[in-house]
Amino acid sequence: MMPLGQQLARRKPIVFQRQHREGEELARNLGTFQLMMFGVGATIGTGIFFVLSEAIPLAGPAVIISFLLAALAAGLSALCYAEMASAIPVSGSSYSFSYHALGEGAAVLVGGCVLLEYGVAVSAVAVGWSGYFNELLGHLFGWQLPPELSHSFVPGDDGVATGGIVNLPAIVLVIMCMLLLIRGASESATINAIMVLIKLGVLTMFIVIGFSAFQADHFDNFFGQAAGISGAAGVIFFSFIGLDAVATASEEVKNPQKAIPRALLGALAIVTGFYVLVCIAGLAAQPVAWFGTPEAGEAGLAKIMELVTGMPIWATILSAGAVISVFSVTLVTLYGQTRILFSISRDGMVSKKFLQVSPKYGTPVFNTVVVSILVALVAGFVPSDYLWDSVSFGTLVAFSVVALSLMVLRRRNPELERPFKVPFYPVVPILTIVVCVYVLTSLRPITWVICVSWLALVFVFYLLYGRRHATLSHYVSEEEISEPIHPEDER
Amino acid sequence: MSYLVGYGPRNDDRSAIELAFQLARSRPEPVIALSVVPRGWGTPAAAGTDREYELWAAEEGRQSAELARADFAEHPGLEAEAAWVVGRSVPATLMEEAAARDAWIIVVGSAEDAEPGRVRLTSKTDRLVHSSTLPVAIAPRSYRTTSGVERVTVGFRDDDAGWSLLDRVAELSRTEGARLRVVTFLVTPARRPVTNSVSHSETQVIDLWSVQAAAAQTEAREHLAALGLDDVEFALATGPDWPTAVSSVAWEDGDIMVVGSSSTHRLAQVFLGSSASKIVRNSPVPVVVVPGAGG
Repeated sequence: MMPLGQQLARRKPIVFQRQHREGEELARNLGTFQLMMFGVGATIGTGIFFVLSEAIPLAGPAVIISFLLAALAAGLSALCYAEMASAIPVSGSSYSFSYHALGEGAAVLVGGCVLLEYGVAVSAVAVGWSGYFNELLGHLFGWQLPPELSHSFVPGDDGVATGGIVNLPAIVLVIMCMLLLIRGASESATINAIMVLIKLGVLTMFIVIGFSAFQADHFDNFFGQAAGISGAAGVIFFSFIGLDAVATASEEVKNPQKAIPRALLGALAIVTGFYVLVCIAGLAAQPVAWFGTPEAGEAGLAKIMELVTGMPIWATILSAGAVISVFSVTLVTLYGQTRILFSISRDGMVSKKFLQVSPKYGTPVFNTVVVSILVALVAGFVPSDYLWDSVSFGTLVAFSVVALSLMVLRRRNPELERPFKVPFYPVVPILTIVVCVYVLTSLRPITWVICVSWLALVFVFYLLYGRRHATLSHYVSEEEISEPIHPEDER
Repeated sequence: MSYLVGYGPRNDDRSAIELAFQLARSRPEPVIALSVVPRGWGTPAAAGTDREYELWAAEEGRQSAELARADFAEHPGLEAEAAWVVGRSVPATLMEEAAARDAWIIVVGSAEDAEPGRVRLTSKTDRLVHSSTLPVAIAPRSYRTTSGVERVTVGFRDDDAGWSLLDRVAELSRTEGARLRVVTFLVTPARRPVTNSVSHSETQVIDLWSVQAAAAQTEAREHLAALGLDDVEFALATGPDWPTAVSSVAWEDGDIMVVGSSSTHRLAQVFLGSSASKIVRNSPVPVVVVPGAGG
């Protein structure tokens, strides 16, 4: 066997299947505005429904700065992502980029991070969904699931016992999404547009009502918890994931070099604007201390509406909106998780069983079931406090590595065709790394412990399995390692 | 053995009879066109209305048989008979009669509101398809042909039911003296997954799906060769939806499509397999539904 150091450093050759079947080339017909809306749709609603109660206790009113910091990190990363996606249009996202640019060791690291990011994001979103679902039950029927069935038994950050056993709604949600994915459901652009409208409508309603209860003294001592700004940005970063969807659509854009940065900035401005307004509305309506209470933790935005208006109807509408739109977020994220694992399995790093496609449904059933069961267990038994930060950790590491890969690839493969190049090279990738690492360092120590242990586990698995089975070790034809690049999936 | 045609009283579509004769041209067995008319009320009613009803029903049956005989005249030289029976339930009566008359297949037509050339189940044929232990052949609306069965196309999928269906269709193609074509349908809905940062995520899955489907077909080729069938066509029918996928393979006069119904399990009988029912809806040629295989 190859020496470990050499194997960790070996890079996957960039081989494409240049076999577009006729009629499959995409018409480049997306304009800047459509691309921008696509980015807004993919981003909004992932975390904003839950993130206030996690972030405000850390940074106080200065959490607004945290939002801007997170937006900056997300925007810079998305630019880097866009260049990589246009240079190496492969499946597997940051995992594949690092395999091509940095080598197997980095790929294992990023693969571990991305699996963590997606898997934990699904669990976290499912736990958040469970809170809103229970809230909605209470409003509609005056009855809620008992804490035993709606909370995990693991105490949260504060160490107070939850009185729970298992978070049943979260598990049920993941299983429902699993069944849909097995049947081959995936959100259509139309459904997505409807979901975006629901989310925006609900958030607008929240902003209007929150501002009607504006109390300026809630913003006193604005920088009182300034030390927590970057930590809060780390938590918030999660809610900006999805912006890179703009990058993946680059094949369809008429003039990527101009359209992508504009669309990214536009989407970022809209999303950040909404988030900051939601955040100000929340702070205006409730004192900082309230956000640290368990009441705020479960269905925060809906609770604020109820407290402000004294009328349950607004809270009911908001919960209903959250239950519907967060469902779609769970579905999409779980889908992403299974497909990334699929890419990793193609490289032989995990068992080829994850590649088996059901002859009936045309979906990777084994893959979907295994992923869903693991995710459901995490969602059912781990409280959300521990989850959000890990998601940000995985993403931040992945994005730093993408920025690094970008620089390495520019040196090593300057000849590669790059329909899109980041502006101000090398400032953008370097700044991306700096911002991501800065936010990373401020994540809570417990997050580091959890994530580093996970990565250690991934590495041990690599030594035991992936190292021996990697396709790169024993492929005989280039076809085995080539990447599918027909764009049917973006029809 | 015989071909039992379920023939509606006053049927204005003789496609079922056409299909039965097509089958009979390849494998000469008698064609029996059977009309099921409603059974009268068991106990006599005062005003004789029950008697009147029975007479009406008998007249219906007689006219229907008459019509069938007129249709037979289009196909001289093949053995055929027309009859009518009374029964409460058309599907149940057809199945009983099929057993009594030693039929190996029940042939029916499509719903009256179907477009010409389209296969549509009616409430009765739907019930028949789900409960019959015999194969059921469904003719497209206004079906006409003068050929025999030239080629049998089977929808093949790499699962237990798919393999058992393959065996039965291999047998069918042998007895009908028809060529065999094995088609695997890969329907991949046109969609833009909104998932972030996983570009080409679906492409890689679909690519592998077709690779695996092609591998299963290779295995099927060897399996059929071992059964002595060498002249078998293979095709992958792909498309963003079922109509496109079904029409992506060539169809010609003399073609017959065979699908399996999901299962003979009582609960599953309620549904034709999801793929099978989509093939049935989109098939441009007659469809034979084989019970207890595929889906």
